[in-house]
Amino acid sequence: MTVEDESGWDAVRIAPGDHVAVALRDLQGNARVRTGDEIAVFALSETIPLGHKFALSDLPAGTEVRKYGAPIGVLTRSVDKGGHVHVHNLRSQRAR
Amino acid sequence: MVERTFLGFSRPRGRAGTRNHLLVLGINGLIAATAARAASALPFARLVATPYGRGQFGPDKECHFRQLAGIGANPNNGAVLIIGVDRKSADDVAAAVSARAAVPIEVLTLDDTHEDALELGVRAIRAGASLSRDISRARREAVPLSELYLGLECGHSDASSGLAANPLAGALADRLVDAGGTIVIGETIEWLGAEHALSPRGVTPETGEAIVRAVAAREAAVSAAGIDLIGNNPGQENIRGGLSTIEEKSLGAIAKAGTRPIIALLSFAEPPRRPGLHLMDGPSFSPESMTGFVASGTQMILFTTGPGNSYCSLLAPTIKISANPAASAQIRNQFDFDASRIFEGRETLDAAADRLLDEAVAFASGMLTWGEAVGEGAECFTRIGASL
Repeated sequence: MTVEDESGWDAVRIAPGDHVAVALRDLQGNARVRTGDEIAVFALSETIPLGHKFALSDLPAGTEVRKYGAPIGVLTRSVDKGGHVHVHNLRSQRAR
Repeated sequence: MVERTFLGFSRPRGRAGTRNHLLVLGINGLIAATAARAASALPFARLVATPYGRGQFGPDKECHFRQLAGIGANPNNGAVLIIGVDRKSADDVAAAVSARAAVPIEVLTLDDTHEDALELGVRAIRAGASLSRDISRARREAVPLSELYLGLECGHSDASSGLAANPLAGALADRLVDAGGTIVIGETIEWLGAEHALSPRGVTPETGEAIVRAVAAREAAVSAAGIDLIGNNPGQENIRGGLSTIEEKSLGAIAKAGTRPIIALLSFAEPPRRPGLHLMDGPSFSPESMTGFVASGTQMILFTTGPGNSYCSLLAPTIKISANPAASAQIRNQFDFDASRIFEGRETLDAAADRLLDEAVAFASGMLTWGEAVGEGAECFTRIGASL
């Protein structure tokens, strides 16, 4: 989407301790990430489609990734800050 | 404060209906086609015909009977025409329906026509036509919102579901519970990874423990089968939408549960005994899950999705909600409520929930959902055991 967002952010960190933010539109280059009332700019290392997640810091393999303030899986390999976090590098810890 | 109402069909017993269906209920697969033939000749009938009914035993048989009886007793039925094979099993279903719903019930079986299915169909058309005329006298009247029992379902979720559409459903659930109404949320496997958030909300420690046990039982079944939830749940649509694991999907899904205490964990198709928020231990496939809600008595369903999902209940009007901006813009005749402004940060959750409550009252009062307007709708029976 090319529409300029009047609200001033295009990704959101849902809970304060989360390792990832969610893209509110297809994102390239920089992301403006909202955490509560604060907005910070992060450089993306790849294209992040709407609804997908990216790392907010360098995350080593084995990190228990948090979203919604709760664990959503473990990284099978390291992800750099601004990198895509999805099924290629994140595994469920349940029903295994 | 003035009590909030909707325009419903008052019933002599139980909750009011949001619709006034003539239900043609085929209770045995042997006469499913006969029931369909009769229903197709009755312009105001809704047909639910099970493909099963023989060779079942134990908990599976009991579960199937509970679904038949519950579907018959749903408050949205103004009358029920039961079509069966043998008298005994048809009368058993009729007795179970009339124990919960005081609406006209007619029973016709192959026993009455000496195995002549065409004759059974003709008798069913005559009986159904009379019932249709009788129930058309009913008029809607104002009934308190506390009579509403709403099912909350999600299907084809994406990241917008967990961020906006499901929290919106949760905010509506809170409003309805505060008004004295009743809510149910199912799909047990989609609590996996979110038990820690749900179990402390049980009104008793036993309720919380029952929730944890129900999830553990499903998780054990997945592990024992040696299957991988990835690609199954979350499914391919979920993964395309950005959801990576069942934990992530669950944490988004349980946002539908709002913030109020959990009164009880219901078994599949079990009616709630008290108002308030309930969980139902059941399958995650929407057609099965929603039929469990309908058999437990929900008169309406709120269905959140990301990219879209056309499935609707046949008996309970199904309100479709998406917060995905692209989907809301693309699909014209599916979403009854556009929640994309929440996702984009242009509308507060509270403002949207107030707007949704107004719309829910309109749908409960007779306004057609998109699903009703385009003829969507089915009920789907769950089996929990093998046949003999």
